[in-house]
Amino acid sequence: MTFTINSAPDCARAWEAMPWVLQDNAPVAQKDWLMAHLAQCEACSAEFAQQTRLRLAVSLPSDVPLDVDSGLARLMTRLDTLDAEPSLPTSRRANWAFKALAAAVLIQALGIGALGTRLLSDRADPYQTLSAAAPAAVAGAIRVVPDPGMKLADWNKLLHSLDLKVISGPNAVGAYTVVPTGSAAGSAQSLQQLRASAGIRLAEPVDNVP
Amino acid sequence: MNPAGSTSDSVDRDLLQRIAGGDRLALETLYRTYHGTLCRFLSRLTRRADIIEEVINDCFWIAWQKAGSFHGDSRVSTWIMGIAYRCGLKALRQHGSGPVEDHTLMGDRGPSHDPEDDREMRDWLRKGLDLLSADQRMVIELVYGNGHSLDEVAAITNSPVGTVKARLFHARVKLRNLLPALGGDAAARMERVP
Repeated sequence: MTFTINSAPDCARAWEAMPWVLQDNAPVAQKDWLMAHLAQCEACSAEFAQQTRLRLAVSLPSDVPLDVDSGLARLMTRLDTLDAEPSLPTSRRANWAFKALAAAVLIQALGIGALGTRLLSDRADPYQTLSAAAPAAVAGAIRVVPDPGMKLADWNKLLHSLDLKVISGPNAVGAYTVVPTGSAAGSAQSLQQLRASAGIRLAEPVDNVP
Repeated sequence: MNPAGSTSDSVDRDLLQRIAGGDRLALETLYRTYHGTLCRFLSRLTRRADIIEEVINDCFWIAWQKAGSFHGDSRVSTWIMGIAYRCGLKALRQHGSGPVEDHTLMGDRGPSHDPEDDREMRDWLRKGLDLLSADQRMVIELVYGNGHSLDEVAAITNSPVGTVKARLFHARVKLRNLLPALGGDAAARMERVP
């Protein structure tokens, strides 16, 4: 036999009310109304009887065999294990995690800061002129512009013969900054020799720029 | 347990407060109070006793750790059933919901009292519930077995109230059409028992 849901408003209302009346959670007025309706409606009365059976069946204790004592014993053993763990309590673990995270962020910030400083430093002189003072901090520094056709071997030979070494360059216009490998006192002589050398377009002392 | 009872809820709240303070005796009391209800609730998801026990213990493991975070927005029973529901779904994803194996049942068999009428009634119900989806079975259990309201079922299952209402409606329609055909002599006898 198949029931159909009665679409009559009272039957629909009764259908809605049944679970809560069965729970004994419905207002008294709703319960009284339902009982009055059931007394005169055979279909809803049959439905309510089945709902009552359903509730009885659902309320039966579980037939899955579980022993509460053994389950509880296992839970307590689990708690004992938690207590015995050398790890820190949850709150302290959380604190450590927070501190580690903060340290990581700090390291990242320092790294980004250092990188930014370097980038700014690189960008400090977006162009470089022959009179730029960047490498001029070294005493006796000379800015030299070799001829573009000068061979590398000749350039190296010249620097070696004058006891000079390159500390920066070439820049955008092909200028090198060189310094004496020994005392800065010989810088003036080296400057003169550079100016007298073939293949050198320009030689100027860095610290004597007007 | 009477989930609808405010008295039992105040008792549960007191237990939960003690649990938050590390009182194991309170945890044991709450565990014993809810064990049968949770066992029956979870048996609507799986028949495997080992999984049910695992889920119950996971549930109380969480309750032990989170008791302090219970702010009383719901009844304790709703809070616990919600934890159990989530743990149950997680366990099912891990283990599946296959039928219990014989060797699993041999483990911790508790005291058994299963009169013939109860067995017939359970068979009748099981046949009916087998025809429902897991979500529909959960709603039937929570409303008819535990006495939860629609709002509470929505909170437990983290679903909109409208969804819960629809699940209850469709479950009832299915059972209405199918249960009478599944017999129920025992059910009818029980109905006559005062």
